[in-house]
Amino acid sequence: MAEIVGGFLVPHDPVMFVAPDAPPAEQAKAVWDAYETCAKRLAELDASTVIIIGNDHYMLFGTTCLPQYCIATGHTEGPLDQLPGLKKEEIPNNEALARFISNTGKASGFDWAEARSFTTDHSFSIPYQLIVKRASEIKGQTIKAIPIYIASAVDPFITKERCIELGRHLNSAITQFPDAEKVAVIGSGGISHWVGTKESGRVNEAFDRQVIEYCCSMQVDALAALTDDMVLENGGNGAMEIRNFICAMTAIDAKRGHLIEYQPVPQWVTGLGFIELSVE
Amino acid sequence: MKRDVLERILWSLSVDRFSKSKFKEDPEKYLSRFPLAPEDVEMILSFDVKKMQEMGVNPMLTMGYWIEMSPDRRMSSYNKKLGSEAQYSASIKG
Repeated sequence: MAEIVGGFLVPHDPVMFVAPDAPPAEQAKAVWDAYETCAKRLAELDASTVIIIGNDHYMLFGTTCLPQYCIATGHTEGPLDQLPGLKKEEIPNNEALARFISNTGKASGFDWAEARSFTTDHSFSIPYQLIVKRASEIKGQTIKAIPIYIASAVDPFITKERCIELGRHLNSAITQFPDAEKVAVIGSGGISHWVGTKESGRVNEAFDRQVIEYCCSMQVDALAALTDDMVLENGGNGAMEIRNFICAMTAIDAKRGHLIEYQPVPQWVTGLGFIELSVE
Repeated sequence: MKRDVLERILWSLSVDRFSKSKFKEDPEKYLSRFPLAPEDVEMILSFDVKKMQEMGVNPMLTMGYWIEMSPDRRMSSYNKKLGSEAQYSASIKG
């Protein structure tokens, strides 16, 4: 049977790639090093598959169809939005587990939108290339990766309560999977950032620290209780991605969180937090 | 104009090569296939991203549209259009 071995909450900030030298060098190094720390820890967890919970940025899904939650069950490549140092490539999806999750959902009230052939965006590909692919290099063994996209950046937003339910469903489905997989889950996003609005460049460290506290102490309900109006005011439209955190924390059924790194970087328009989630 | 139609146009002009090409060839002709009032056409052609956001358009689309289609693709100019003096800008495209 498959088991869940842990996971991470990490950012997916494209500005790091577009303007790598914008922040002070020490601060930039701390952020890049945090990804490397996550990769090393993932290799130590001996994960064979990683599920990355991210969100579209109105690139992959258009006005003709905006899924609440979508899983890639087949061929996967990405990212669509290539960046310097983040080029499009094939991604080794665990199609059997992805289909199992989708089919399990149909029997338990979760009608997944399925992407049979999928192109990711940076919300998947940044943690994939900097953590999962790097951990594969460290291990000398391919770690597969399944993209899950939830509606965290484009309305109609998935409710935070549904993110909890979806996470519980993921936990149940993964642990019912008959193959001997070791599965890690990454929640990709946050923390405070304003994307495309006049507040862009603002970082709210107080809000970020509150989110980090909730994530490290496993206060999922407190995180879910933050109203959208509060999040938009204090964390920006990008902070709606705490939904990805909520879903990942619940999917892992994490017992504790450990802050790896936090850097408020206005030059990269984001409060960048890295948390490891442990199952014991 | 309904926000939905505007978002459809901006999304197409952000990600769809065919739409981008047709818009560059003849923007008025491209926009004529959508149910737009003359002031809506003017808003799109003048890249009035502030007005678009006031109508409820997702800022990721106004930014994507600006980066892909505006003559001046600089984010500093985008910020000025929004009435912002922001020094730093998110860019979801390389």
